[in-house]
Order: sequence, then C-alpha cells, then structure tokens
Amino acid sequence: MVLLSAQRWIRSRLTDRFWRVQEVLKYARHFRGRKNRCYKLAVRSVRRAFVKSTKARREKKRILRALWITRIEAASLEHGLKYPAFISNLLKSQVELNRKVIADLAIYEPKTFKSLAALAQRRRQEGFLAALGDGKEPEGIFSRIVHHY
Amino acid sequence: VAKTSLTSPPWPEVKLPDPVEEAKYHTEVVQKVNKMIATGQYGRLFAVVHFASKQWKITSEDLIMMDNVLEAECGDRIRMEKVLLVGADDFTLIGRPLLGKDLVRVEATVIEKTESWPKINMRFWRRHNYQRKKIIVNPQTVLRINTIEIFPCLS
Repeated sequence: MVLLSAQRWIRSRLTDRFWRVQEVLKYARHFRGRKNRCYKLAVRSVRRAFVKSTKARREKKRILRALWITRIEAASLEHGLKYPAFISNLLKSQVELNRKVIADLAIYEPKTFKSLAALAQRRRQEGFLAALGDGKEPEGIFSRIVHHY
Repeated sequence: VAKTSLTSPPWPEVKLPDPVEEAKYHTEVVQKVNKMIATGQYGRLFAVVHFASKQWKITSEDLIMMDNVLEAECGDRIRMEKVLLVGADDFTLIGRPLLGKDLVRVEATVIEKTESWPKINMRFWRRHNYQRKKIIVNPQTVLRINTIEIFPCLS
C-alpha cells in the first residue's frame, strides 16, 4: 500500500505535560495535605491563593494605616494627649508628617515624639484661648502660619 | 461669694506663660542649639525626607528602595531637598512643613536599578468561567544615603 498522503498519519502529541504541571505545582509545594502533590487539587488551591494575594495587597495599606494609628494613640496617651487632639493640632501647626513616620519616631526616637506632643498641646491651648477670648488677647505664637512664597 | 459648681466653667482654665519671658527663653534656646551645631556636639543625625511621594526616616549609611524609575545613572550623587525633620540626640529641628535648604543637606547615591519579583495579579469569579492572570514587574531603584549635614544658620 502506498501512503499517498503521509502527513495525515502524523498527529500532534502533547510532549511537555510534565513542565506545564510543574508550573502550577511549584506554587503549591508549601501547602498542607494532598494539594501539594495532586494536580487537580493543587490547581484550585493555587488559584485561590493568587486571588487572595491580589485582594490582600489592597487590604495591606488599610491594615498598616490602622496599626500606625493605634501606635500613635498609645504613645500620645503616655504623654497625656488623645489621638484626635494630637493629629489635628500637629496639622494646624503646619507639621505634615505622615502616620508611618510618626509611629516610627514614637518607637525609635522617644524624645522627638515628646517634643511633638508638647507642640500639639501648646497649639491646643492657644486654640482654646482664641476660641474663648474672641480676639481681645494677643494671638498665640505657635498658631502663626508660615507663608512660603 | 460661695463657690458652687457653676461659678467657673467645667473645662480646666488654660494659662499661657508670659510672652516677654517666653520670647527671651526662645532666643536663649535658639542660641544654645546654634552653638551646639556650630561646635559639632551631636552624634548620629536622623532626618525625615519626602521623596518619591513617600516619607522616609533616614540616617547615614541607610539603604532605600523606591518602586519606580529614577532618571539618574548608577553612581550619581543626589541631593534630597524637601526635608521635614532633622534630629540628633539632644535637639530636633521641626520644619513647618519643610526646613530650609541652607539648613540641612542630605546626599544619596544611586546603587542599583532592578525589577521587582514577578507579582501575580489574578481575578476569578466562580461558576462564571472567568479568570484572568497578569504578571506585574515593577522597576525598582536602590539608593544609599551618604551623609546628612546641618549648618548653624538658625535665627
């Protein structure tokens, strides 16, 4: 018999199934149970792991900000100020440090944090006097706004 | 007149110190700090710098990694303006909001420019046959903070 059309007898075969499977299993090697060995279970677990990590990257920013706020609150309570008073008075005295840096200062530079708390307390008192006195007494020194032109 | 619960307001009375005495005290403190800076009686300085839309607390010999591209070759020296706070052991200089450029000088060198590890972005809706997978690689730059210097020009 003469095979007139030889091309029809060659079918394509999947030859790199091993590497395609390893691509998925390499992300599942540290999982618990059969999902670190069996491909069918691993595919589902790896997919869930990727989706959770993408969502967690957005949540991480919120979690870290809440952590910094808790730490700043604890540190300012040690100096006799509450967190909203501390932050609002710092912003009113034109000190634009963000919560990450203030939390780091509260941990590693206690003297600097104490001076920031004293600044906020003084600005708070000047605010009270300005609100109660209605402008007859001299304005506070720490409430002066610095203009950079 | 007898003191009742309504004679004085319920909030604690706030008294500020005398302005003249306060001004004298302030000038004294400023002169002392200026003398300390001029004579060099400080140990390690730390600074808070606003760079690449983030605030960093840095000292000398520090490594910083930014998640973006910097238009400077490897080995270029960079001066960071926008310093928010400078401190040593005994004194801190707080800027409102920034400190002057003639007061602080922060120098850094660009060490390496690489890419981040491949982060995987995956979206999946169950029972809807929808999944998208994207690999994100961000360019990163590593800087080494060489020196932080302060000059005695307080007033």
